[in-house]
Amino acid sequence: MLDNKNDDIFLSRWINGELSPEELREFQSHPEYKHYAKIKAGADALDLSEYDIDTALNTIKSGKQTSIDSNQKPVIKFWPYAAVAASIAIIFGLFFFNTNDSISSSYGEQLAVTLPDGSEMILNAKSEVSFDKNDWENNRTVSLDGEAYFKVKKGSTFTVHTENGNVTVLGTEFSVDSQASLFKAVCFEGKVRVQSGQEQIILTAGKGYRKIAKSASENWVFEALEPSWINNISSFRSVPVKYVFKELEEQYNINIETKQLDTSIIYTGTFPNNDIDVALKTVFSTLGLQYQLLQDNKTVVLDN
Amino acid sequence: MSDSKNSTCDEQAFDHFFKSHAKLLRSYLYYKFGDLDQAEDIVQDAFIKLWNNCAKVPLDKAKSYVYTVATNLGISIARHQQVKFKHQNYITQRKTDVTNESPEFVMLEKEYMEKLKNAIADLPERQREVFLLNRIDKKTYREIAELSNVSVKAIEKLMHKALLSLRKKIGDI
Repeated sequence: MLDNKNDDIFLSRWINGELSPEELREFQSHPEYKHYAKIKAGADALDLSEYDIDTALNTIKSGKQTSIDSNQKPVIKFWPYAAVAASIAIIFGLFFFNTNDSISSSYGEQLAVTLPDGSEMILNAKSEVSFDKNDWENNRTVSLDGEAYFKVKKGSTFTVHTENGNVTVLGTEFSVDSQASLFKAVCFEGKVRVQSGQEQIILTAGKGYRKIAKSASENWVFEALEPSWINNISSFRSVPVKYVFKELEEQYNINIETKQLDTSIIYTGTFPNNDIDVALKTVFSTLGLQYQLLQDNKTVVLDN
Repeated sequence: MSDSKNSTCDEQAFDHFFKSHAKLLRSYLYYKFGDLDQAEDIVQDAFIKLWNNCAKVPLDKAKSYVYTVATNLGISIARHQQVKFKHQNYITQRKTDVTNESPEFVMLEKEYMEKLKNAIADLPERQREVFLLNRIDKKTYREIAELSNVSVKAIEKLMHKALLSLRKKIGDI
């Protein structure tokens, strides 16, 4: 058994599945068992980074017959280290040197950000947030332009400030989407207070709020546990199609030439954020529109 | 020549030999010397040397030949630079399906895996070698014993010690 000092291969027999059923049962009731089981599970989840065996073979073939000059290697091998060093410097730079942190995601990119108190936010494509890291304890305020999903730790009031209004957290999980004239807040857990102009409303879990341009705000109820874009799906419910186009443009870094199309048509539907062909087809065929993705893969032209 | 098939000078035989042995040799060197990029370079050099000397090395001796050459290369490099075992970017986690675990759980798991990797990096060289060859490369104790010319019993003892060391290093969770 484990405590038997004479059995110096007990654990190696265990991890290799060689213990007898009685031995195994006895070990499983031992207080140490769970620690070893965890080590085993952890180690079995490890893997080495991929080895491209064909490339390696080709390198050897091109190097065959030429004698190797081992003195040259340190020079050649400097680059990977320099690259790693540089990327570490940049990451550190982002998180430690900048006190008023501003973080932005690019086209088609999602960024997960951990705030100083452990709260998390996930930025959808083409969004920007900034917050004051040093004064975070007293002032949990994030300025947002774009769309983000928040998981907030308990503590003082947490406010998301946007041009269209503020969302204050009374609970924990919610998403905010603030664009030129669209303002949307969705609460996934707990309670959230939304303030837009004179209007103030409290959302509980499973409720959403939206205001488009100057039209009246609306509320709805849903059942999802997190926004669909977290799973690479953009979804829309009765929104003017121009917002759908904008989202397509942001996710895929393309430009959609709408010409004289009426972009206030109302659209309901979803598209994937990781397959441009499917996304374009889904949106435009449901709208009954012919489209073309130009050679540069950047411009979509609509033919009426 | 009747033994051209058994010669490492035969290109097909060489390719086949490379494909069946290079990966394990790379892991072996990495666990031993601690740097995966370096291990890949050594694998390359050892096989080039095999090719250049193919007339002298029959196929059934080729395996021990590349292991010996590679180990010697590794030792001569290690003599000049003491490398600490590196796991950043080298040891990855097998991709699991998308989890629905809470961020806290994922975070704790991540922390544990970091701890485990650090503990593995701190293992004595021989223990680490045995532990990782067995767990990552799924080699049996017998196969590992053959690689380093020791008895199976010795490997089992090392494995036992490796687990004890990891448990001690990681502590209570």
